[in-house]
Amino acid sequence: MKRTLLIVSAIVLILSLGLGVLTVRAQAPADSHSVWDGVYTEEQAKRGEAVYQKECAPCHGDLLTGGESAPPLTGGAFQANWNGLTLGDLFDRIRKTMPQSAPGRLTRQQDADVLAFMLSVNKFPTGKTELYRQSEMLKEIRFESKKPAAKN
Amino acid sequence: MFLRKGKSACLLCALTASALVTSSASAQYKPKDTEWPSYAADLAGTRYRPLNQINASNFNDLEIAWRIKTDSFGDRPEYKLEGTPLMVNGVLYATAGSRRAVIALDPESGELLWIHGEHEGKRGGSAPRQLSGRGLAYWSDGKEERIFYVTPGFRLICLNAKTGQRVPSFGEDGIVDLKLDDDQTISDWNDKREWVPNLETGEIGIQSAPVVAKDTVIIGAAFREGMTPKSMRNNKGYVRGFDVRTGKRLWIFHTIPQKGELGYDTWEKGSAEYTGNTGMWTQLTVDEQLGLVYLPVESPTSDFYGGHRPGNNLFGETLVCVDLKTGERKWHFQLVHHPLWDMDISSAPILADITVDGKPVKAVAQPTKQGFLYVFDRVTGKPIWPMPEKPVEVGSVPGEWYSATQPIPSKPPAYSRNGVSIDDLIDFTPALREKAKEIVSHYHLGPVYTPPTESKLEGPLGTLTLGTASGGTNWPGGSYDPQTHTVYVFACNSCIEPIGLVAAPKEISDIRYIAGVAGQEVEIMHGPGENAGADSPKPPKRRSASTFTRLEADGLPLIKPPYGTITAINLDKGEFVWQIAHGETPDAVRNSELLKGMNIPRTGQTTYNIGTLVTKSLVIAGEGQVTTTSDHPRGAMLRAYDKATGKEVGAVYMPAPQSGSPMTYMVHGKQYIVVAVSGGPYSGEYIAYTLPSAGE
Repeated sequence: MKRTLLIVSAIVLILSLGLGVLTVRAQAPADSHSVWDGVYTEEQAKRGEAVYQKECAPCHGDLLTGGESAPPLTGGAFQANWNGLTLGDLFDRIRKTMPQSAPGRLTRQQDADVLAFMLSVNKFPTGKTELYRQSEMLKEIRFESKKPAAKN
Repeated sequence: MFLRKGKSACLLCALTASALVTSSASAQYKPKDTEWPSYAADLAGTRYRPLNQINASNFNDLEIAWRIKTDSFGDRPEYKLEGTPLMVNGVLYATAGSRRAVIALDPESGELLWIHGEHEGKRGGSAPRQLSGRGLAYWSDGKEERIFYVTPGFRLICLNAKTGQRVPSFGEDGIVDLKLDDDQTISDWNDKREWVPNLETGEIGIQSAPVVAKDTVIIGAAFREGMTPKSMRNNKGYVRGFDVRTGKRLWIFHTIPQKGELGYDTWEKGSAEYTGNTGMWTQLTVDEQLGLVYLPVESPTSDFYGGHRPGNNLFGETLVCVDLKTGERKWHFQLVHHPLWDMDISSAPILADITVDGKPVKAVAQPTKQGFLYVFDRVTGKPIWPMPEKPVEVGSVPGEWYSATQPIPSKPPAYSRNGVSIDDLIDFTPALREKAKEIVSHYHLGPVYTPPTESKLEGPLGTLTLGTASGGTNWPGGSYDPQTHTVYVFACNSCIEPIGLVAAPKEISDIRYIAGVAGQEVEIMHGPGENAGADSPKPPKRRSASTFTRLEADGLPLIKPPYGTITAINLDKGEFVWQIAHGETPDAVRNSELLKGMNIPRTGQTTYNIGTLVTKSLVIAGEGQVTTTSDHPRGAMLRAYDKATGKEVGAVYMPAPQSGSPMTYMVHGKQYIVVAVSGGPYSGEYIAYTLPSAGE
């Protein structure tokens, strides 16, 4: 299933690059590729929610609002904290340090799904392709807290 | 055999012999004012050094002299580095990393001279207060130099400051097990829910720096967060003094009195027997000349429900003065009777020699979460200005015991908000105010000491508070300028917290009510750093009770600015000299579409862990949140203010928020400022700033 998804994604990407198919990701110029460009799917966020509630909610809260034990993963301070960095940075932070009692225990797919869920809670738009599972590729997607002005 | 002795790891020892040539002690050691020999600069808790090479004219020229990441000082990186280093006799010492290692650095280059770490296994991994802690203590008799710190697993460690090796003649091979000889048997619940002795997981620890005064090391105690305790019973947080040479216990002060001791009768129905906590988890201060120690004590077990501990509960939330040699109580003043708001006395009392109505007074000034600066004669304990007992609201939570009055300082005025009224709500636009009013309509509002309510779906969900758990001034405390008799103190002016109580399911707690929200699953909440340190276990698979729900109006803070402040308070008069918003306006406010076109002055930031540093001319403090502005990329600023006026005179960029309080020192004619930064994507790092060398 995962492989199928990856292949489909790759085909979409190749088609969009090579044939000018109008997908959001391909349409955006390379220098404006950000979380506002629909970089995850609704289904992926739903999968991520299930992982989140099991693995992350004990500390970060059901609503991602954090608490005394862990910072919020939504809201102004969270977004300011990551603004200007990339999803690769955020993915690496999750991958290398979370869950904090056993960092790296989750699979790359699970981490990417959780990241997709976080993006959905932070009201970044969904798209047609799932998030990458490699941090190097995710580093090409900028985390921007403010929606860029529409370009004509 | 419940524990394995800490395994010492002294690395780079080969380097120490040659690298520490500058640290050889000669004559009787006396700290210089170019050094930073204890956590708060001195035993008076001032965070003051009379240095002036870095000043208003050149602060913007500061550049990074050296920096050291702390990732490798533990088995995982740390994102919550709260330490303030020491610099004494030519060496900088700090705690660092998720193992709470001790490192010695060259203060000019940052070169690592030695490192010491204790591998405590389960005992460290299950400790209530993990990660790198706030710092350490230095002692010298002019010949020997020693460094003291407490491990996450609650062991007092004595190191040779020259080598980083434990001092064998202290305690047992350099270690005093603080879970022993504590006038109680440190215990934990077993699988059958029996309270049994357990030195491995028995809850007690500390994250603050030890204090050494004359030849005594003084250690308090800390516990897990107390919003949702498992039980009304817990270990007690006594304070102890130890001989700096041998590690022998010299004295103990029972923060919960034992039968026959003063204050025992303030715990009705025998509740002193089982109630715990009431520790001293923050920094203490000492007047060596008077031979007096000032202990800021925290809340008893169960922060928000006191039905199982009827009475005023001495010495909970009490400033206690004890004798340095004996630990004997000299005087005390309870700031909050029968604590119900998590108003732990959270920072070092500040010792100040002031002049009131023309008369010299040896005073002690206590910043607090509730935004009152309590000022006493530190010899007698008598308030400098009246603190009359005033009636406060008596609540209606079943089984609760209420104090009908609380002492309210008449001077100085509260320096941060400590209650919530409609007037405190966001008012950028009428629509935002209306939205905020709708949100708070689900809560009980009131001034300081408005008690918690039961959380009910039909309302109130709880009492909406400011100046409680994370309000006002927390562990970084304030600073004091002995030249001008002025206290400088940061406060969170917008750390809003709903306190609602729900009946605790028996499988969660034997306490009748714990913090929670009606309609939500009741769970145990965890404290900062808990289960985050080296060797720590997986946190329990329970969902947190979202008591601290985000309260926002259209993505904007519910409370109006200023969100965080620094206040200068003259202690001769008990009056404000100035008050400013500290911290850049948050991105969410500055970039809000709803506020487009509005001219909003700097708001400060909602953060509770900002420490200040005072020098000859400046007040220096970093920001606690990241922003991205037209003036600087994503990051935070270390800001300097003219200490006479509060006017900003300079700012330098930091890659991450200030997470530990800044300190300063001078070596070979150059002044340095060192600050701990971390948070979000940025793991812990100490950064040293200095001015460019002449000619550069």
